Amino acid sequence: MSGTVTIEKRQSRTTRWLLAPGIIWMSLFLVLPILMIVYVSFWTQTTFNISPEPTLASWKLFFSSDTYTGALWTTIRIWLIVLACTFVVGYPTALFVGLFIKSKTLSTILLVICVIPFWTSFLIRVLAWRPMLGKEGAINIVLQKLGIIQQPIEVLLFTELSVIIGMTQIYCVFMVGPIAFMLSRIDRNIIEAARDLGAGFGRIFWKIIFPLSLPGVVVGAIFVSVMVLGEFATSGALSGRKVNLLGNIIITQVGSLKWAMASVVGVILTIVMGFVIAGFLRIVDLKREL
Amino acid sequence: MESRILKPALGLYVALFLLFLYGPFVVLTIISFQQGPEGGPQFPIIEWSTYWYRHIFGLTPPSRIAPLPFGEALLRSLTLAFMTMVVSTVLGVMSAQAFRRKFKGSGAVFYLIVLGMMVPGVLTGLGVSLLANNIIGIERHWYTTAFATHVAYTFPFAFLVMLAILNRFDSSVEEASWSLGVDPWTTFRKVTFPLIFPGVLSAMLFAFTLSLDEFPRTLFASGRDQTLPLAIYGTFAVEIHPNIFAFGVLTTLFSFALLSVYGILMAMSVRRAKKMAMQEDIE
Amino acid sequence: MRPRTTGEVDLDTSVFRLDGVTKRYGDLVALDNATLDAGENEYISFLGPSGSGKTTLLRVIAGFEAPEAGRVFFNGKDITNLPAHERGIGFVFQNFALFPHLSVIQNVSFGLTHGKSGLNAAEIERRSLEMIEIVGLSGMQGRGVDQISGGQRQRVALARTLTMQPKLVLLDEPLGALDANLRGRMRNELRAIRERLGVTFVHVTGSETEALAMGDRVVVLDRGRIIQIGTPGEVYGSPASPDVAHFLNRFNLFEGKLAKGTFTGPFGAVPAAHAVRSDRDIYAVRYDRMQAVDPSAPVSGPAIRARFVASEYLGSSVMNFFEAGDGHVIEMEHHLSLGAPQTFEPRQDYLLTWNPEQAIVFGREVA
Repeated sequence: MSGTVTIEKRQSRTTRWLLAPGIIWMSLFLVLPILMIVYVSFWTQTTFNISPEPTLASWKLFFSSDTYTGALWTTIRIWLIVLACTFVVGYPTALFVGLFIKSKTLSTILLVICVIPFWTSFLIRVLAWRPMLGKEGAINIVLQKLGIIQQPIEVLLFTELSVIIGMTQIYCVFMVGPIAFMLSRIDRNIIEAARDLGAGFGRIFWKIIFPLSLPGVVVGAIFVSVMVLGEFATSGALSGRKVNLLGNIIITQVGSLKWAMASVVGVILTIVMGFVIAGFLRIVDLKREL
Repeated sequence: MESRILKPALGLYVALFLLFLYGPFVVLTIISFQQGPEGGPQFPIIEWSTYWYRHIFGLTPPSRIAPLPFGEALLRSLTLAFMTMVVSTVLGVMSAQAFRRKFKGSGAVFYLIVLGMMVPGVLTGLGVSLLANNIIGIERHWYTTAFATHVAYTFPFAFLVMLAILNRFDSSVEEASWSLGVDPWTTFRKVTFPLIFPGVLSAMLFAFTLSLDEFPRTLFASGRDQTLPLAIYGTFAVEIHPNIFAFGVLTTLFSFALLSVYGILMAMSVRRAKKMAMQEDIE
Repeated sequence: MRPRTTGEVDLDTSVFRLDGVTKRYGDLVALDNATLDAGENEYISFLGPSGSGKTTLLRVIAGFEAPEAGRVFFNGKDITNLPAHERGIGFVFQNFALFPHLSVIQNVSFGLTHGKSGLNAAEIERRSLEMIEIVGLSGMQGRGVDQISGGQRQRVALARTLTMQPKLVLLDEPLGALDANLRGRMRNELRAIRERLGVTFVHVTGSETEALAMGDRVVVLDRGRIIQIGTPGEVYGSPASPDVAHFLNRFNLFEGKLAKGTFTGPFGAVPAAHAVRSDRDIYAVRYDRMQAVDPSAPVSGPAIRARFVASEYLGSSVMNFFEAGDGHVIEMEHHLSLGAPQTFEPRQDYLLTWNPEQAIVFGREVA
């Protein structure tokens, strides 16, 4: 009658069955593809085809070409600038929503308002910046009407600046959300206590508020980094092909069936990503914060 | 004290922030009412009209501008989003359920799952395409390869939502059910699932929305038949007309309506729960 | 421990038996070699402070936790490896753990409906309604469980378990979530319902009054070990160790030294003819065995000088609190059935005395 299998064993068997489908799916469709990219980056590229003979040709080509190495530096530059912009633009908003608004309903409403633009298709949102930034775009019209400028500003569209503006707007909400969440968890009594001890807002901010919101900043930064580093659509649509990110290189290489080169760029992008995420995770343990 | 200056200043800042956030959408809406078919996607507005809205539905006389090729793409996208939603929610619930017990290697499994939302879509798309093309040798389709990448992307979100829900779940109701002689699977169906259903709904909503708008993964992995974001991307290459903006406005309004219904339903259930709590106080 | 197999278990009246059950959480030993036998139709209380392992023990019996070592027997079968839903042991939770999305009758009939009862819907309803009536909730079956009061929820939790007709019901601090008034009433009802159905109840509690009032037998736990098993009278009258005496919250405990039949404590040297073996030397005097007299009055037995602090009226008795010179609080209970209570002057010194025959002495050295 009595089973020979202990309850402990039975439970861990259940755990394994519950996890198996997810682990298998992620291994097959996430880990294996990435390994595949690494593998193919050493394949031999002919004009329209690739064959598995190992070679370093694509790697050599990447590092000897200014276009490719330039794309790497552009990607890193744009990533850092957009990261800084989303932080600078997003933090005060998060501060207001998460800390200064006392009503929970109101702060939820504000957060929902921040999310509403996401219901428009990502690509259409990118596209909408064109009539906004163009020579006869909304910004130039408004500034001219206000008499701030006489001549329309032409550097707004189809430059690196337009890419940065577009990306900042699209991704800053990913910075606001996590930071506002961490700020809303701060015990108000700590701030009150500090104030009672005569600390000014600046001091309270740097000693209490900012350190406590740091996990939120890191989570937000991970979100933004992941998305910006893999970007190609915004740069493609708003730079007039002047800004080439690693993502754009992958697209054009695949378009011309240069799979090996696309893979090389993919591996480099993966390495950059790996360093960035590992760096952020050193600051904050993601699993604990969730 | 400081907050007397600081709070209004921050409030003003947030207003500017929202202007920045909404600016493009406002401009997009304005331009969608551009005159047609000659008016382009820029200022000034030649004449206000609903031409481009009618153009989407094929209600305008034929002109040199072809109607948007979105019909079939939209249907594909909705189907794909539905499939993705079902599979990633099931996977998310299963994995999060497993994480309620401590087990060896839980850290590694956690990061394996979360990796799905961290790897850029271009890479997943590229990798899956390489795998399909050069190793397995199968054709790529939106319902095979692209579907696989969509789930690998949305499953982590569903997993995290369910993890948060199940972390707060009081397991004594499940134990109570077992002690009444009900086996674990029936217990899950009759007790756990009904109680975590609001969380499941959010996970589904997440997965559906993310999949519907997913683009970089689909670009390489979907093969010949396009999904909606791909069809929109296709219009980038050729000349842009205000019809794409009108389309953006319509889809936004549609999802807005859909989410309002969801919000109202949620609010109603909250109010009902409150009413019950009040009745209890009276007793 | 001698390993047992199913065949060897003595089946006469034993409903369940624990044999050397041990459970660890990391370095923490929650249960240390617990061995216990329970008969049919018995009311057993587990008494112990929080962290004593009493809830863990209950969860091991129910099958929610697996022990690292030892066996659990129920109805003559080894159920150590049997999952909870196949054990047929009822469990009532401290927070009731009602199914919040179901009505009262759906809660009560849950096990019959979704388990392996094999009954038809009409029979299930009949049985559920019968049980709802037994626990005194007739007419409430259609309500949602969030539309009834705390005491009513307690009854639903009980009814839900009892419809399954288990031979053993485990109750984890079932009265902890109720207010004092309701607790007293439910105490009587639990006993009455149990006697009517002839089921064995195992009741875990941190309250010594509850344990003494309800159990046919009391099992005292401390740091994962069973330190005494006995009837309430036995446990109350002769606690097996200073720890038991301490948990019962009915004894003044004095530290001191037992040597050659004499206990030397803060009250001087007192002859101690009988002593209970223990790892510490402790002198215990029950609250209601203490007497207070004027400091100048002559006393025949041992006595300790203490200052009166306050008194507390408990309905059937009065509790007086004194403070000895070393700050040790001494309690003295006066049962009102024995006459009107003495009145004491605050901050006045009194002599507290007792009959040494009635004291319990624990010591390393036993004559």
